[in-house]
Amino acid sequence: MSSAVSDHNLSREACESIAARVFAFARGGGESWVQIHSWWNGELRWARNHVSLASDRRDLRIMIYRTRDLGFGWVSTNQIDDASLEAAVRAAERNCEINGFTRHPLPASDRPPMPPFQRPTTAIWSDVTNTTTVDTLGALVRQLVAPAKAKGLLSAGYIEMRAGSMMQTNSLRGGGEPAPWDVPYIAWTQAQGSLTVRDPEGTGSGWAGLSSDDWSRLDPMALATRAIDKCVASQHPVALEPGRYTVILEPQAVADLWELATKSFVRELAEAPQDPWFLAIDDALGLGRSKLGRKVVDERITVSHDPADPALGIVPGPWDTPVTWIDHGVLTNLYYDRDYALKKLNTNGGVRSLAGYRMSGGQTSIESMVQSTERGLLVTRLSTVQEVDHPSLLMTGLTRDGLWLIEHGKISKAVKNLRFTESPLFALNNIDALGEPVPVFRPVKNPYEDGAPLTPAIVPAIKARDFSFTSTIDAI
Amino acid sequence: MSVNRRTFLRSGSAAATALAILPSRLRAQFGARPEPIASIQDPRLEDLTARALDAARAAGAVYADVRLSVTRLRRFLIDRVDDGEAMGVGVRVWVDGYWGFASSPVWTPDEMARLGREAAHQAKVNATGDPRDMPLAPATAVRGHWTMPVAEDPFMISPYEIQDHLASLQLWIGRVLNLEVPANNLEARAQDKVFASTLGSYCTQRQYLTTGNLVCGLKRLPNGQAPEFVLDCLSSAGLGFELYTADHLPRVRDASLRDEVRRQFEETKEDYSLPIKPVNVGRYDTAFDAMTMTHLLDQTIGRATELDRALGFEANAGGTSSLSDPRGMLGHYQVGASLLTVTGNRSDPGGASTVKWDDEGVEPDAMTLVKDGVLSDFQTLRETAGWLNARSHGCAYAPTAIEAPLQREPNLLLAPRDGGDYSGMVGQLSDGITIKRAKLDVDFQATTGMGTGMVFSVKNGKRVAWHPGAAFLFRATDLWKALAHVGSEPHVRRFGLASGKGEPAQLGIHSIAAPPAVIKGVTLVDALRKA
Repeated sequence: MSSAVSDHNLSREACESIAARVFAFARGGGESWVQIHSWWNGELRWARNHVSLASDRRDLRIMIYRTRDLGFGWVSTNQIDDASLEAAVRAAERNCEINGFTRHPLPASDRPPMPPFQRPTTAIWSDVTNTTTVDTLGALVRQLVAPAKAKGLLSAGYIEMRAGSMMQTNSLRGGGEPAPWDVPYIAWTQAQGSLTVRDPEGTGSGWAGLSSDDWSRLDPMALATRAIDKCVASQHPVALEPGRYTVILEPQAVADLWELATKSFVRELAEAPQDPWFLAIDDALGLGRSKLGRKVVDERITVSHDPADPALGIVPGPWDTPVTWIDHGVLTNLYYDRDYALKKLNTNGGVRSLAGYRMSGGQTSIESMVQSTERGLLVTRLSTVQEVDHPSLLMTGLTRDGLWLIEHGKISKAVKNLRFTESPLFALNNIDALGEPVPVFRPVKNPYEDGAPLTPAIVPAIKARDFSFTSTIDAI
Repeated sequence: MSVNRRTFLRSGSAAATALAILPSRLRAQFGARPEPIASIQDPRLEDLTARALDAARAAGAVYADVRLSVTRLRRFLIDRVDDGEAMGVGVRVWVDGYWGFASSPVWTPDEMARLGREAAHQAKVNATGDPRDMPLAPATAVRGHWTMPVAEDPFMISPYEIQDHLASLQLWIGRVLNLEVPANNLEARAQDKVFASTLGSYCTQRQYLTTGNLVCGLKRLPNGQAPEFVLDCLSSAGLGFELYTADHLPRVRDASLRDEVRRQFEETKEDYSLPIKPVNVGRYDTAFDAMTMTHLLDQTIGRATELDRALGFEANAGGTSSLSDPRGMLGHYQVGASLLTVTGNRSDPGGASTVKWDDEGVEPDAMTLVKDGVLSDFQTLRETAGWLNARSHGCAYAPTAIEAPLQREPNLLLAPRDGGDYSGMVGQLSDGITIKRAKLDVDFQATTGMGTGMVFSVKNGKRVAWHPGAAFLFRATDLWKALAHVGSEPHVRRFGLASGKGEPAQLGIHSIAAPPAVIKGVTLVDALRKA
């Protein structure tokens, strides 16, 4: 991390100064938390083979959390002068008074001390990402667009460089070591690139994209070639009867399918469901039990997180420890927070939510999967995935940017996009083959809150049986 | 004068009034230190914006604009109140058909100049590539200030009072109607904006957006179902706290909030009292409630008539449009039945997208997107209007000055006809379906989709069964061409809907208004049934 602080972002000293001032402005005792984010985005967007917008954006978010007496209060601001910070602290204290009427949280002093915590050592800083300028990107985009233009195709895409810093600290720690729930100052970078190539008549569309903390790990020209190839190969698709097909889901499609499911891996929901719930036991064992310890997917599947995994490149959160949610098909962990641990589990800790994960895979290449398929579909990615049945995790969504029929071990033709109705757990229980896990394109965690780091994922391609497609769609 | 609890709370405490100033006073830096300013109308802000414009011009900008924004948020949740504020400045520069943009949260003269130079650099770097012959639609210089008219500014009411109001509403629902209240949230947003451009424009405005989320749960039924309803008259609106307190809000509700809760409670009880039957897959004449019609309008015609989408500028994000040949289709393309007329505006009182000037300093005009079933216009901003050699309709919007403006949906209206009300439409079905509160999943060209919601079969004008798990599939053009009846003006309802767009994604909220309608031959399927 040679120059992990850039003029784009707040330095460690600046963050510590903000925290010290916030703590000094606090009145009336209690506890203060402050979380400080700063970030820079260098962005370049293009469409119809021309750059449509180049931008350089920076922002901050200071989140102040006060507890006093029995109340607590949150305030956020992006101003760091003394007057603004003091006003924000006063507002948080005012909210303590309001909130004190409605809730009595467990005071920090009544909680047991935090258990020891091995803080991860991560390197998620890339000088290349931080220093790539619009000049470089502008020239690059002209190179990315040129081959599409030469073939009479239309390229649209987006490249984003991000550099940020964050720190979270608490007034009770004084000058001592950070508490386990603190996040010592960390500077991070993230990069993403994606592009869609379409023919002017709108009969074919191809997409490719990738995210990483390090821009140098992305090969944008390879992405452009892939998107062009997919566009050309997907032109003039034919309609295919919906039904159950063997599918080869490219890694991006696996991540798209799995994404919504990750939000359901919550212990509280699984152990106290109001209704039938796919992670709860709904037989005679009744409520208060879950499928923890039981096999839920194919034994070749392990889903885990290690904040120190360099390939993952994740911005570690507080109490960020290695966790395995699914171990060789067996559900081994579900998200819970410290409150749930103290109240329900008589333990002192927590398990992070299922984000920033690696899914285990195998060695089978997509080409081999195709060759071994008598009749099936090759899926590039999925779009607008939604739950249709919460208790069973049944989902629906659309294929997008390249769908092909495989016959007798070969891709035979492009087919029109299809709507699927399927559960990711069903798919992960019908696996024929697994590819090597690779990083995939990830949108920001909450696209509407700038500064939120990406949640990376590493997933394999999957060949699965009996995947259910329920209707054709017109969109290309 | 009688003193009610609210009057007492409002007038009884000077401290409460002081606490209503949130979380801090507006500050800007004109010299060495940030200093408080009275309001967004402080004339010194024009000097600040001039620094950005001058710097951009000096750096080669053909056109530049600068926006300042101050966004205040106050969230009332069941158990707490949160506050947030964010300031931003964004400078956008146009050089030879290329946009550059730079933004930050710092309001100082030096930062304005830096952003002006940076935005110009961003544009010029790309302008060195292929020349781009892209005229911006003309705009005239505007000046002035506008404040969105609201009856009750939520930031001038003590948060204690609003919290008290929400708590008493919840208490009433629990004690009088015997319902659970799993969610009872209110989010108030006030945003001050400045816009200045090299055309000589300088305008300021304040907008409000208030959103409620009140969920009521009924007692669990013997069959294990746990009915609940989301109060449908609290969606995002360009209103203040009157969203909760008014006895009547045009196109939102005809009665007080408590009466609306009671009405919807009775309606939910009636819905759940119907026998549950499996789905009979097939094609049916279908009566849709106003809410479902707003979603259909939003996600099909609303998206398809965004000109940037139609031309492929969203191809790598939300998608393109089935209206892929705008020039060729305008005035000819049959979008739907002759009953179908769709208009757009950014002036509807209470509309979530209502402004005086858009984020390009254009005063929006009314637009008729579909006239008697035929495509007649597109939503535009200055760049996209330039492609049609037309005037911008003023559809530029960004959530704050930190983001560059995109073309976003205005307030949309499905023009009412003489089809009466929803109950009457259901009453006229001899063998059909009625669908309420549908959620849609529409493809990335706003073409085909699936809707789930409360689906009932109708025999001889009466609802006879409920079909949980039923859904309808549609192709947008077929659906709108099969429009058979459109409800009347008194039965138009307006909802604030959110959507994402762009890269990086931006959230936009706009209002869609529609009456109930009947559509022939809608395809009903079982959404829970796999192939």
